[in-house]
Amino acid sequence: MTWQTFAFLIVAGSALTISGKRFALLYRLLKAQTGKAPQFKDFGKRFQTALVNVLGQKAVLKDRWIGMAHTAIFWGFLIISIGTVEQFLMTLYSGASFEFIGEGPYSLFIFCQDFFTALVLLGVLFAAYRRFILKPKHLGQSQDANNVLMFTGGLMVSIFMMNAFHVLGSHPSYENAFFISKNLASIFGSFGFSDETAHNLFTVFKWIHMSLVLGFAVYIPGSKHLHIVAAGPNTFLRKLDREKGMTPINFEDETVTQYGVANVSQMSWKDALDLYSCTECGRCQSLCPAWNTEKPLSPKNLIVDIKKNLHQNKEAILAGKTEEVTHIIDDHVTEDVIWACTSCRACEIACPVFIEHTDKIYDIRRNLVMMESRFPAEVQSVFKNMETNGTPWAFSPSERANWADGLNIKTMAEVGSASDLDVLLWVGCAGAYDDRNKSVVKSFVSLLNKASIKFAILGTEETCTGDAARRIGNEYLFQTLAKTNVETLNRYAVKKIVTACPHCFNTLKNEYKDMGGEYEVFHHSQFIAHLISEGKLKPQKEMNETITFHDSCYLGRWNNVYEQPRSVLTSIPKVNLVEMRQNHDQGLCCGAGGGRMWMEEHHGSRINVTRSEQAIETKASTVATSCPFCITMISDGMKTKDMADKIQVKDIAEILDSAT
Amino acid sequence: MNLYVCIKQVPDTETKIKVNGDASGIDTTGIKWIMSSYDEFGVEEALRLKEKNAGATVTVVSAGPDRVVETLRTALAMGADNAIHVELPETADSAMTAKALAATLKKEAKVDLVFFGKEALDDGASQVPQLVAAHMDIPAVTVVCGIEYAGTTLKCKREIEGGSFEMVEVSAPAVIAGSKGLNEPRYATLPNIMKAKKKEVKAVKLADIGVSSADQKVKMKNLQLPPPKQAGKKIDGDAAAQAHGLAVALHNEAKVI
Repeated sequence: MTWQTFAFLIVAGSALTISGKRFALLYRLLKAQTGKAPQFKDFGKRFQTALVNVLGQKAVLKDRWIGMAHTAIFWGFLIISIGTVEQFLMTLYSGASFEFIGEGPYSLFIFCQDFFTALVLLGVLFAAYRRFILKPKHLGQSQDANNVLMFTGGLMVSIFMMNAFHVLGSHPSYENAFFISKNLASIFGSFGFSDETAHNLFTVFKWIHMSLVLGFAVYIPGSKHLHIVAAGPNTFLRKLDREKGMTPINFEDETVTQYGVANVSQMSWKDALDLYSCTECGRCQSLCPAWNTEKPLSPKNLIVDIKKNLHQNKEAILAGKTEEVTHIIDDHVTEDVIWACTSCRACEIACPVFIEHTDKIYDIRRNLVMMESRFPAEVQSVFKNMETNGTPWAFSPSERANWADGLNIKTMAEVGSASDLDVLLWVGCAGAYDDRNKSVVKSFVSLLNKASIKFAILGTEETCTGDAARRIGNEYLFQTLAKTNVETLNRYAVKKIVTACPHCFNTLKNEYKDMGGEYEVFHHSQFIAHLISEGKLKPQKEMNETITFHDSCYLGRWNNVYEQPRSVLTSIPKVNLVEMRQNHDQGLCCGAGGGRMWMEEHHGSRINVTRSEQAIETKASTVATSCPFCITMISDGMKTKDMADKIQVKDIAEILDSAT
Repeated sequence: MNLYVCIKQVPDTETKIKVNGDASGIDTTGIKWIMSSYDEFGVEEALRLKEKNAGATVTVVSAGPDRVVETLRTALAMGADNAIHVELPETADSAMTAKALAATLKKEAKVDLVFFGKEALDDGASQVPQLVAAHMDIPAVTVVCGIEYAGTTLKCKREIEGGSFEMVEVSAPAVIAGSKGLNEPRYATLPNIMKAKKKEVKAVKLADIGVSSADQKVKMKNLQLPPPKQAGKKIDGDAAAQAHGLAVALHNEAKVI
């Protein structure tokens, strides 16, 4: 027992008590969340993803340089922490050294300590260089981040200083293992420190190091650095499949009186864990179509602001006084922020700790729409059209099948049962009513006929899938429409569906399951690609065209379909497929998802114009799309850029039909 | 404050209207019915007034066949407190409807204001509000696109010919027929939709209010759809030839000069 033991007991005891209390508060806040968290299963896969993404840093490494710096810091921290544990133990009891593992292994351990300290220091220096010199836009300025860098850097410097004076003062037998500190020691040695002075300086730096560690432990719960505790579990509990449907609300349950999220406490504990996990790296923001066109939404700020809201309301939440919790819409999370989202999911794809931003936006929209009737005025007619006419546009349901006049297409009512068919063609509202998209569906029909596919349509029995209503927050309307469609589809025993609309595709495939509709659903790009591979469609006509393909968010990011539409295009002789600078899962949304198709774009520049500019840059003569909204938005963008007569915007079905 | 709103159920504006077999009216099969959009201004105005006046109640009244109950529920979902369904045959005209509505309203304990839309989206007759006011012997202000309330006095802004407006002051009780600009009708919240499903709709039979088929003044004998729109005609030539061609066409074909 020395003075150090007592001092350490007091300092560490109080630091860990304060830190523990702060962590306990976070835990209690998380537990007090009243929203329903998803069910978690597939633990095998969860361990695997945690292994790959936490220890393997896979998602972090998607951004190469800072990813490598982070990996260095992360692994360094794991290794150095072992040394810190030894240090703490030896301060309590000087005989607690890990030297008992043998000289060889202990030397290796020391070597690793020195090596990783240097690695972390390099990582921190790179992070500082990036943050203060390179200043990438999405990073922003943050005192918290500066503090974390200073803490981390300070820790490493203090370790080197401590080890150098340890070598200088105590000449340990394993001193050669300190391959960096030893060099530092020889520099300090030239100042002629006595062993005793050097040893005292070692003690000073050891205490500086220990204080920094303990100070950091107190600091972390209130900092974005909390991710070191939360991001691991959040990765373990991530959404495993790329495809995900929105969580349905059970309207039959009369005990539920609140739909969606009106205040932060109504989110689930998993949402709170998402908030705790955010490190404000800004990758979500840098890929967000709203942010990149000067809209008020930044997915990063959204998470940070909801977290602030959670902390501001902690007393009321912990006291169970949920009625006193302030509204989720505040000065930071404004209605404009919530309505700016195109639900393109770029934020979620970019997030290295698997935060699910869109779910939060949907939940907030659900409350605004269903509980408070607060939404952009232009949406009201969309809801009403969907309610009365089963389409977001003002068209009569009796005219839904008019596009097929003279095409000799059978309806399910005429066919009777789906068992005599290869597939049901789901037309969708755009295909049925919008002139531009009618031509897309006709081209697809032509391809189906060329491949001798037996298909039918629902005709006037089809109604809107409800995608837009659901994304805008009108779950009730969505379920009304979905139930009607599921009833119709099941009545005809439909098993296989193909559609040219990624929104219908996503809803039918991933969301109708919850409404009692289990179908095998194909996007027309998948269907056509399959017909080509089977030899049923033979693209023979040379095209001599440079084509760029615009990824639809609901096909790509929501359903992981990137290659089939491209393969349809490259199957055509002499087609030169070029990529825009943002493509595949980094692609830029056309601006129409999440119900934005029917909302005015009041802020910033137009997303569709920005995307059209990227297409123009490729010098392609044709932009290929695979979504009715995308084709509309990109065509409009080309008109705005005065390029409509130079660059064609066509659906992949139209392009292929002209080549077969 | 007892506020009443008379609403009409009409075919959705996207409906392809067909004449029924005996040309006595429209074929109602497959029609999606909605609340006449001008009446929504009336419902919204009454609801806003109620929100500013504690204790006020809003009662919606609709005359027509059983299906109008659905539209009454739409108004209840918007936030109305009570609903009355006056059971009227499909064929009822403006006179019969007005008499039935007025008779129903007269049976109510106290009526402060009766809101309407300025016209129905289907027949566009613009008669019922004024007729109801006459039956009840209270003033009517129509085509109202703005109201300032001061106690029982209402300053109404009316839209008149030529894009002008006039201000009319009226005291309650009165009939107000609202027009576009009066307000932005709300979209019902889900809790209100749920509540509306359970609310009672009071049914009033014609016999209870002394109205009979004799009150119907207009009967449809041969309803016809307007002739399909003809393609436009271009008159070629220089200015003089075009003027001549136009005059000939107006005289011989359109027969207006």
